[in-house]
Amino acid sequence: SSSSGHSRMSAGGNLFTRGLRYLASKEFRSYLCSTHFWGPVANWGLPLAALADVKKNPEMISGKMTTALFFYSMAFMRFAWRVQPRNMLLFACHFTNDTAQLVQLCRFTDYWYVKDEAQRQQLRRQYEDAAGEAAAEVAVAEPKK
Amino acid sequence: MSAVYRAAIKVADRFVPAKLQPLWNHEAGPKTIFFWAPTFKWALVIAGIADLRRPAERLSLTQSTALAATGLIWSRYSMVIIPKNWNLFSVNIFVAATGLYQLARIVNYRRELEARNKK
Repeated sequence: SSSSGHSRMSAGGNLFTRGLRYLASKEFRSYLCSTHFWGPVANWGLPLAALADVKKNPEMISGKMTTALFFYSMAFMRFAWRVQPRNMLLFACHFTNDTAQLVQLCRFTDYWYVKDEAQRQQLRRQYEDAAGEAAAEVAVAEPKK
Repeated sequence: MSAVYRAAIKVADRFVPAKLQPLWNHEAGPKTIFFWAPTFKWALVIAGIADLRRPAERLSLTQSTALAATGLIWSRYSMVIIPKNWNLFSVNIFVAATGLYQLARIVNYRRELEARNKK
């Protein structure tokens, strides 16, 4: 783009204006309508689900599925890097997923293989109490159903 | 590490029969990540099938929803991209199927629980 009308700014305008102009460009709009964008968007559900599960009861973690997801995301990180054109959104998605799944794997291992049964029972009761409180709040909020 | 891999591939190259050479050397073939990454997605299906034995109260609602959604969307996308990717299509159909089945189990379980608590 020419800088004839912007003599007092750096060529093309400042970073913010240039950014906005890019967002309005045809190139960006066609990117938003491509599989290159929506495919990775569809995959973001997985890391977001895992991050939401981090504060939940570790008994909800499936060791098999978490391990499978961990290796799956490692493979797809490389896939996103090597595919033409390089897909950084997909890479970011699987990088985040690997981090989240690793956290869940650590929680799973700690819960079943490091803690003893007494600690597990205590945690179970804690989660049940929390669930009970939440259910009670819901019951108070909707007395008649 | 990669020196070991390259040496192993050099040896393997000699054993591949002539008819299979084009497949073996394909740019999305077994020597590339473009083959192994989608193939590895089958591990999600296997883990999903193994998880069918888990009791419904131990299943994660968010994870099953995420798997079902990504499976459905990617099933469609693998038919929309050029070239069509049947391997990707089939694996995502199964990911969606196991995800949806688990989702149904969770929803049913929670409904039963609610009904029981109301009584």
